[in-house]
Amino acid sequence: MREKSTTLYIGPQHPGITGNMMVKLQVEGDTIVKAETHVGYLHRGFEKLMERRNWLQSFTIVCRICVPEPDPNEENYSRAVEEIEGREVPERAKYIRVMTLELARIATYLLWYGGQSGSAGLLTMGQWSVGDRNYILDLFEDLTGGRVYHMYIWPGGVRRDLPEGFKEKALRTMDYLEKRLDDYDKLLFENSIFQKRAKGVGIIDKNKAIEWGVVGPPLRGCGIQSDVRKDDPYEVYDKLDFEVPAMEGGDVWTRALVRRFEIRQSINLVRQVLDKMPGGEYYNKIPNPHKWTIPAGDAFVKTESARGEFGYYMVSDGGNKPRRVHVKGPAYVHGITLLENLLVGENVADVSFIMNSLGTCPPEIER
Amino acid sequence: MSENNLHNEQKLLNLLEKKFILKGGSVRRERRVEVKVEPKEIVPVLLYAKENSGYTAFTHMSCVDWIEDGEFEVVYILWHPEEKINFFVKTRVSRDNGTLPNIDFIWRQANTYEREIREMFGIQFEGLVGREEFILEDWEHMPPMRRDFDTVKFVEKTYFERPGREDAKDVREYVQERTDEELPDFAKKYSRD
Repeated sequence: MREKSTTLYIGPQHPGITGNMMVKLQVEGDTIVKAETHVGYLHRGFEKLMERRNWLQSFTIVCRICVPEPDPNEENYSRAVEEIEGREVPERAKYIRVMTLELARIATYLLWYGGQSGSAGLLTMGQWSVGDRNYILDLFEDLTGGRVYHMYIWPGGVRRDLPEGFKEKALRTMDYLEKRLDDYDKLLFENSIFQKRAKGVGIIDKNKAIEWGVVGPPLRGCGIQSDVRKDDPYEVYDKLDFEVPAMEGGDVWTRALVRRFEIRQSINLVRQVLDKMPGGEYYNKIPNPHKWTIPAGDAFVKTESARGEFGYYMVSDGGNKPRRVHVKGPAYVHGITLLENLLVGENVADVSFIMNSLGTCPPEIER
Repeated sequence: MSENNLHNEQKLLNLLEKKFILKGGSVRRERRVEVKVEPKEIVPVLLYAKENSGYTAFTHMSCVDWIEDGEFEVVYILWHPEEKINFFVKTRVSRDNGTLPNIDFIWRQANTYEREIREMFGIQFEGLVGREEFILEDWEHMPPMRRDFDTVKFVEKTYFERPGREDAKDVREYVQERTDEELPDFAKKYSRD
């Protein structure tokens, strides 16, 4: 007998939803038969705002596009401006940028640990990992003055040089986090509740993944080694030694494992960068921001963020303000077309579990 | 950078030049190829790139308002997962009643981009099926990402000040009154009158 169909609205305010968005579900019993993503609760019009601000003023708002990981926004914005203008960036600044991006990646994954385990009812994990994330935020505070929003990577380089004693402090933090990874494994990956919840849930078809626009850890969780840092190297990633972990499976479990292996790679990257960092200038000074014009042209730049490929399409008409800045976040595909398709046939209790595994982030969808 | 390094980029451009009528095309730099086409060539070029040339990933789609030319420029960005090249297809449509072909049968995620561009710029996509509203709910004004939509004017007309601020006094003026301090010149410049 066919069960009665019911409509369920999850969100926009719901502890299981990763931000302000709504998933409208058609359920029969516990099984989802149709899912629709509704957005519009968080539209702040960043792209429109940037058209009214000069190049430097726009830089101060891009980090607000993503709360958990603002740095890829800053880096993308700066690199797009530099590409159109042809501005050189000092080598030291590139190393500092990579370090900032990798620290941000670790911090985002630690926050993700909390979301992913919390949506399975394992709340201790989040207490530990979000607590440990604070050590990285401490590093950011030393480096940039801000804990969450940094406004640090700007066109021409970075805003400040490393403070005194930063290298030692960062290395100590990395040693500590590396030890903690084993604790996390015991708490989460060896936990049979998590294993049972994660294995075989939210499976992405490997053959269709690239065509569907899947990027980042969900794509690598399908066994496809794809990473912007290797495919379209930026900053100094081509001079660094790291691996891109990928695992066959395509479910929540492999996506979680891929992220777990990436934390270790990022820790190694931070160590390498601190070791190889050259001396010299960290900033190629820009002219007076009020009179600063960028030659006409356009650029599309990409960064591998913790959730996947992050891109900026920027157009300049030769004036002192951007003509158009279009932000492409991975959630634009993951949160709408992919999520709507993945949820069909799944249990209603797994909605936030799957959303967390995809890294859905509504601010990227609406901007 | 030697010519040899751009071999794959140039290969695509040569193929497309033979097959289609292009309005322009260039290798922008390593890993970036760009062509300009008429709107009616969009579907053939994208299908050819996907099915015959290996540009299987749809990375991005964007729209730029060139109000002085009376045109919108729509950019499709594809990605070759093996050769690692980004391919830009650009086209221009009129700002008044501009229509473009729908491409969500080629890549289904293009549906989201098209819905957003329809809502934010007012470009229609022939045969686009999908919910009318994407971000804006009950929007009756001009599509807001158009250059002639003035955000400040719209806010001044639509919203009113919260009660208790009827005097519309700048907080700096309060400070000045309270402390008898002269406002510095740079602060005066931005005051309300």
